[in-house]
Amino acid sequence: MDTVIDAHNISKVYNPDTIPVHAVNNVHLHVERGEFTALVGPSGSGKTTLLNILGGLDHPTSGNVVINGTDITHLGSNKLIDFRLHNIGFVFQSFNLIPVLTARENVEFIMLLQNVPKKERDQRVVALLNEVGLSDKMDVRPAQLSGGQQQRVAVARALASKPQFILADEPTANLDSASAFNLLDIMAKLNREENMTFIFSTHDQRVIERARRVITLVDGSIASDTAQTKTD
Amino acid sequence: MITTIAWRNIWRNKTRSIVIMTSVALGLWAGAFIAALYWGMGQERMRIAIENEIAHLQVHAPDFTLEFTNIPAIANVNELTAQITAMQGVKAVSARTIAMGMLATATGSAGIQINGIEPNAEAATSQLKSKLKEGTYFETKKTNTVLVGAKLAKKLKLKLNSKVVLTFQDKEDNLVSAAFRVEGIYQSYNTALDERNVYVPITTLNNLLGLQHEAHEVAVLLQSDDLTPSVKAALAAQNPALKVQDWKEISPETGLILSTMGQASMVFVVIILLALAFGIINTMLMAVLERTREIGVLMALGMNKLKLFAMILTETFMLVMVGCPFGLLLAWAVIQLLARKGIDLTAIAGQTMQDFGFSNVIYPGLPASQYLQIVILVVITAVVSAFFPAIRALRLRPVEAIRG
Ligand SMILES: Nc1ncnc2c1ncn2[C@@H]1O[C@H](COP(=O)(O)OP(=O)(O)OP(=O)(O)O)[C@@H](O)[C@H]1O
Ligand SMILES: [Mg+2]
Repeated sequence: MDTVIDAHNISKVYNPDTIPVHAVNNVHLHVERGEFTALVGPSGSGKTTLLNILGGLDHPTSGNVVINGTDITHLGSNKLIDFRLHNIGFVFQSFNLIPVLTARENVEFIMLLQNVPKKERDQRVVALLNEVGLSDKMDVRPAQLSGGQQQRVAVARALASKPQFILADEPTANLDSASAFNLLDIMAKLNREENMTFIFSTHDQRVIERARRVITLVDGSIASDTAQTKTD
Repeated sequence: MITTIAWRNIWRNKTRSIVIMTSVALGLWAGAFIAALYWGMGQERMRIAIENEIAHLQVHAPDFTLEFTNIPAIANVNELTAQITAMQGVKAVSARTIAMGMLATATGSAGIQINGIEPNAEAATSQLKSKLKEGTYFETKKTNTVLVGAKLAKKLKLKLNSKVVLTFQDKEDNLVSAAFRVEGIYQSYNTALDERNVYVPITTLNNLLGLQHEAHEVAVLLQSDDLTPSVKAALAAQNPALKVQDWKEISPETGLILSTMGQASMVFVVIILLALAFGIINTMLMAVLERTREIGVLMALGMNKLKLFAMILTETFMLVMVGCPFGLLLAWAVIQLLARKGIDLTAIAGQTMQDFGFSNVIYPGLPASQYLQIVILVVITAVVSAFFPAIRALRLRPVEAIRG
């Protein structure tokens, strides 16, 4: 098997000097390529904190995160930015598209940062937006898109850089259930057809049911980690 | 794409951006206008100094000074003036004899400089004839006539035909007094000079001083300012025994005024730009803070600090540079218009301008090099003011920015 994430004994303490908050406690996590994994747990259990650490957005207080063979725990901030650009895709709860760019430009932008040649960029943007079902909205700015459409652009953007895996922190929390299911369908299809690894946090029971692996966090520790066979 | 984002970001808050662009345009306009006003005044002073007072070049005896009672003279001056008149680029030549002395009337007296001049030559060199306010310009048959300045006339209550006595020392250091009639009263742009200088025919003064074919000063007016160094060099080479000086050497204060004017106007421009810089920094800081989350997302997605910095810098730069051409165009148009019409300051300044040797009408103007200088200053302002917001953006941490 092909390991993409190997997190070893990670802990995160906020405000260590005043009122320490142990947001993540001694978490060991191993993610293989092609996983479709949900991170669940009550509010404040440390899901966002853990995802940020796995995505190289935040440093753990202790422990190591190895991604695709590279230990990112002690990378400097510019190296880390570069590492994220080439290895990790992000989907955020509140979509966070660049408002002044069209759907097409939002997706292309990532490849531009990677210095992908123009021709390849153009082809890939079209292919990706097709895949998320937005070929008719390519030249529209985010403000003119529904939440579900924006989040699909965000997924296309996350895919654009050909990352090792995609982290999504509550990607459906701001969507109505139809849009949420539509998004999940797209993510599942990408997972199935392109073997793209997804790790997403959620509160939504119907979303949890779609995952093949469910990791439950309670007070910053892994309370359970179960594989489930798909119902559909 | 960075420039695209920067450009589109400018138009997100149209009102705010337009306010900044307008301020840049107006600031630039005001700065350029003030600089043009100063430049125009400086040029005017220079023109007056050259065309009405000093001329381009002056030739003196090597040890010439007005301090001595017996002022060193140039011998065979007629040959010299003939030689200079024949030179290329020379427009007019005037030989002058000078005596320092006193002018007395029945009721008062004043220390003065008596200038012996050949009327036609002097009229061509320093426009003395055109400065005449009252009376005539050496038209009577009488030899002992004098032109006095309006300021002096007022001070000593002189009228046309008033009798005055001029007293000075001759070549042999004997005190000479002679009676003169006021034939004319003149007024130049320089009240201080008017009060101190009186003009008499050179033949009369030479007779009284005991000089023959001699003069103390030869003023040379050229066809153009640019010829000054070359004619000066030629003249000096042909007359090694004489001292040849240009107007800047004769009147270093005029050169100083020119450079001071330039510096003073730049001080204004810098003050305006500083005020602009504060506005720009403020606006862009606001723009960065409003976009905290967005910038955090860009960093999360992999936009490195250099690119982020470049993006904010570009945005600020564009914001400033959009207003720049409008300001320049406005300034240029206004300056061109006023350069033709002139600004008459008589109503505001009265005589003050002339007391300092300036014309009452200013013709503003700005050479291309000064426009360029202002543009460079604006660019520097834009870049410097872009730094603070850009640095502020770099200090954002993506996790915190996204969490909000
Ligand atoms: N920047 C911070 N400073 C201090 N404490 C923090 C910070 N961020 C998170 N915490 C705390 O760490 C704990 C874990 O927070 P986290 O956001 O990771 O939980 P979560 O599982 O994502 O919650 P939710 O389901 O509400 O999104 C919480 O107690 C939270 O208050
Ligand atoms: Mg969370």
